[in-house]
Amino acid sequence: MHNDRLTIDLTLCDGCGICVDSCPTDVLRMDAEAKKVTIAYANDCQACYLCQDDCPQHCIAVSFSSQNPRRKSIYDLLGIA
Amino acid sequence: MSVSIDAEVIDTDVLVLGGGFGGAWAALRASELGADVVLVEKAHVARSGASTMSGGVTTCPIDSDDLNIWAEEFISHGAYMCDQDWTWQLLEGARERVKTIASWDVPISRDEDGNIRRFASRGMVDVRCMQYQPKKTMEELRRRNLAQGVRIYDRVAAVDLLTSDGAHPTKGSIIGALGFGTRDGKSYVFRAKRTILAMGVMAMKGKWHIDNVTGDGAAIAYRAGTRLVDLEMGCGGTFTVLMKNYDLGGYNIAVAHGAQLINAAGDRFMAQYDPVRFERSELSRVVAAFVKEINDGRGPCYIDLRTCDASYWSDLETVWSRNSQILLSDHIPNPRENPLLIEPQWGAWAHGMSGVQIDLQCRTNLDGLFATGSNAKNKATGTHSSAGSPTAFAMNTGYIAGQTAAHEACELPLPDLNAGDIRTLIDAMRAPLARPQRGLSPDDIHDRMAWLETSVVDGVLNNAGKLYRKLEVVEEMRAALESCHAPDPHELAKFHEARNIVEFARAQYLSALDRTESRESFYREDYPETNDDEWFVWHGITRTAGGVPVFDREAIPLERFPLQPPSTGGRRLSPVAAMMNGTYDAAAYA
Repeated sequence: MHNDRLTIDLTLCDGCGICVDSCPTDVLRMDAEAKKVTIAYANDCQACYLCQDDCPQHCIAVSFSSQNPRRKSIYDLLGIA
Repeated sequence: MSVSIDAEVIDTDVLVLGGGFGGAWAALRASELGADVVLVEKAHVARSGASTMSGGVTTCPIDSDDLNIWAEEFISHGAYMCDQDWTWQLLEGARERVKTIASWDVPISRDEDGNIRRFASRGMVDVRCMQYQPKKTMEELRRRNLAQGVRIYDRVAAVDLLTSDGAHPTKGSIIGALGFGTRDGKSYVFRAKRTILAMGVMAMKGKWHIDNVTGDGAAIAYRAGTRLVDLEMGCGGTFTVLMKNYDLGGYNIAVAHGAQLINAAGDRFMAQYDPVRFERSELSRVVAAFVKEINDGRGPCYIDLRTCDASYWSDLETVWSRNSQILLSDHIPNPRENPLLIEPQWGAWAHGMSGVQIDLQCRTNLDGLFATGSNAKNKATGTHSSAGSPTAFAMNTGYIAGQTAAHEACELPLPDLNAGDIRTLIDAMRAPLARPQRGLSPDDIHDRMAWLETSVVDGVLNNAGKLYRKLEVVEEMRAALESCHAPDPHELAKFHEARNIVEFARAQYLSALDRTESRESFYREDYPETNDDEWFVWHGITRTAGGVPVFDREAIPLERFPLQPPSTGGRRLSPVAAMMNGTYDAAAYA
């Protein structure tokens, strides 16, 4: 399971729910049926790494390189660097 | 009393809205004094707000320090626009709060002998800071609050204050708040003898990667009739964007350990502006210097971490994990060997330089309402927010507000609720859930608001024309909110965040238009001078019943205070104005 910012290896997820508490922007929820985490609101991931740091199974990876559409580099805006 | 409404009604002595650093300290102190306390947090206490995501730097006085020197540094760098009683209260309180944190089981940067490692961080020469692990500290605060019996409501967004007369703005008192579960959608009515706002700063979503600090506290307070102060000073910025896309965080920590900023030619450009503090100067001046370098063709600019001391690199791995994520990754050139492309952002990010007016007990102008942390105006530090002072202010305002609210609450009965007023508020809170899906979504509105602050150059070089253009967008978004649909409680939370951002930004831009001068972080190209004759004041804004803001200017009572500015009155170019036109004299603006 992945989106632009988050990748979750569900084979490792044991459904502890810690990451669901960790996420400040409520991206993650528990899938009650599968008893695994699910990415419910992918667009709201702020790439803060809290879920990745908190996951005891190390099954979450936050992408460093995802683009942020709400922020543009001044170097790109001005065409330098 | 029984209230026939479709909501869970929760009664308490002290209601704390916001579970970041300020709120968690407030709840803990109030409960230690025996008050029944409810703590409401739209995310999860210990994983929310600016505090958890911060660098964990705080002002760190110890018993052997002469606080006269510290107070003078705070007050002079704050351009004497301080309440000096607050400055002393903050410093003396910080001494005690630091001792408390040091007694907890949380990681703190220490030297070889186990003593707290203190350092001069951004903004100060004599004042010393320390670094703690913010996530672990917030976890400890949560644990201690639960142990004290504080009832924590995670994932509940507070939307508006309840007033004794049902009016917003009120002529009565604050009797609690209204909110909803961001996951289950359930409505909550919190009835309280005393309410403490601790909901942090206002930042546009997507700008700082702390996306849930959306100015809720100040916006909620403003709607209820609270006086806000110096909103235009709440625009700021720091160097956060690495290699055009990554989040650096921790500029204050990096420069405290020796990091330098250089331009394309390799010159350390802050040397000409501040030969004492260099990159540790006022952020307004460092960011303005960056803009000057870019505008004059000397960009791009870089942060050089090769000059950092060894403890910077060791602390990266032990005290603060977020910063190390990118710096220690293989996604960027090795920072031990290469300067890294860096740029600042500029926009709404109050740092305590603006917010809800509070007195020495953290009371607002509304009976029953207190404010703490970054949604309150920090009068201890004036126009300048040095590294560590916002966290010190959050801890100490939390402690003081919690204490005073607990003392007051024990003398008071529970206020009466008016079911009709509450039904009206609940209907308004939930209205976006019932609307048809058309027009702009909450995300669309957040996009538009964030794009108002896209360019750091535009942000620093402000003028009336730009402010009016921003206000046009704000008015457009205010209208869009009226027809905005939220398909579920998660999106409803984002709707209310957008509502608060729009409300706050409108008040901020109008405040900026009203202030016809430039002063430290606030720079207008059309009014480049600092004008002490008219603007050596605290600039208030209050919302009237018609939604129209009313401004006031409150004289700073220098006659009450021991420290006096070298001169008062008159006009001269503001430091940023002088930097922009090339006449900046480092000695004259020191």
